[in-house]
Amino acid sequence: MEQHIVSAFDRDLEAVQAQVMKMGGLVEKALLDAAEALERRDEVLAEQVRAGDAAIDALEELIQTDCARVIALRAPTATDLRTVLTVMRMAAALERSGDYAKNLAKRSLVLMQMSPVNGAPGAVRRMAKTVVSQLSDALDAYIARDVEKAKEVRRRDQEVDQMYNALFRQFLTYMLEDPRTISACMHLHFIAKNIERVGDHATGIAEQVIYLVDGQLPADDRPKFDSLGESVD
Amino acid sequence: MNDMRITERTVQTNQAKITARDVQVYYGDTHAIKDVSVDILDKAVTAFIGPSGCGKSTFLRCLNRMNDTIPICRVEGKILLDGEDIRDVRVDPVQLRAKVGMVFQKPNPFPKSIYDNVAYGPRIHGLVRNKAELDEVVESSLKKAALWNEVKDRLAAPGTGLSGGQQQRLCIARAVATSPEVLLMDEPCSALDPIATAQVEELIDELRANFSVVIVTHSMQQAARVSQKTAFFHLGNLVEYGDTTTIFTNPVDPRTESYISGRIG
Repeated sequence: MEQHIVSAFDRDLEAVQAQVMKMGGLVEKALLDAAEALERRDEVLAEQVRAGDAAIDALEELIQTDCARVIALRAPTATDLRTVLTVMRMAAALERSGDYAKNLAKRSLVLMQMSPVNGAPGAVRRMAKTVVSQLSDALDAYIARDVEKAKEVRRRDQEVDQMYNALFRQFLTYMLEDPRTISACMHLHFIAKNIERVGDHATGIAEQVIYLVDGQLPADDRPKFDSLGESVD
Repeated sequence: MNDMRITERTVQTNQAKITARDVQVYYGDTHAIKDVSVDILDKAVTAFIGPSGCGKSTFLRCLNRMNDTIPICRVEGKILLDGEDIRDVRVDPVQLRAKVGMVFQKPNPFPKSIYDNVAYGPRIHGLVRNKAELDEVVESSLKKAALWNEVKDRLAAPGTGLSGGQQQRLCIARAVATSPEVLLMDEPCSALDPIATAQVEELIDELRANFSVVIVTHSMQQAARVSQKTAFFHLGNLVEYGDTTTIFTNPVDPRTESYISGRIG
């Protein structure tokens, strides 16, 4: 699309979009680091993730303030308006995802004081990697304004749902077999659930990309994997 | 939850008040309006937007035959008001302009008193029977134009002695006084301060309960605020015509998008 006649408008829009991408990078790193800290029982790394959330929160606040300023000063319309709205929603989704990463780090610090649950941290880390790739694909789709890619991210949410359901069953089995693992498994379950929620936010971002390009949200309900009676969300 | 939505945008009727088909306007050799077909709805506000020289004012002036006054101007095509061709030889332009009132960009009060400016139309068209009725029309018209409180104690003072913004509201009062069915407004707020602008916009919103209002404006935000339908003109063409909400959130034509988002002028 051509440039605005008022070039400062372009600079404002580019600035908020750059901020949200920076935020996306921080959130992806926080999630991966937190999962790694859990698996490697790395207290220092977990603490870093905990402390790093403040930067993510600060970026979100900056983005919301800047978007409000753009709305007030430039009265954006059409694609410009949808860009600003999308950026605001993406920032909110990323902020929430950052909180989940922080929570993962906090719980991993607790889990480090307990005896390890067989195979669970590895499974959690795989799930985190899957979610992060979804999140980064959603952000790529945003940068490229790629509706097809966004739709694909949206479809892939099933994958994470399936991983969560499998972990849910696994933790349930452990707890039934050995009640001493209950405490650890409860933490691990919350971690898995939170990662699954990040997947939902990635899907939400993908849907925002569709809204940004097409001007409307996809009408159909997104595919859900829900074969497990016990795991209702 | 439907009742929780923004309802002010709903158009009460889909009945066309003015129907224009294949309208062409030429100023000498210049083809100013090209093939414009549009239905202007009754009881709704329609905004014409577009860059300077795109033909929106020219087209607006076709709707009450103001272009008749320009010798080199030639209009072709059909313009129907309630199904009747306004360019028919039997149509008296003066009567037409009582039904299709107009407010111009620059305030142009008559060199008469404030009272007479507003009373002029009702008098010549014989819309009132006595002085009391005329007083009433003058007062209600000035109130509608948000001017009454400022001028009620000096109705005999000349209209030209008012400030620019007041003069413009006086012209709106004058246009409203004949109870037109259609009100054409060519940049009515360009000389007004924000408060007077808001008052005029409020007036436009009230008028649409009874009239069809067409407004030409350079302010995107004004078009977005006051209208239910928006038409975008560019280089003499009607590029896009649709619901104002759609035009400003998700326009179809890339030229519309470029214009409303400040990319082409």
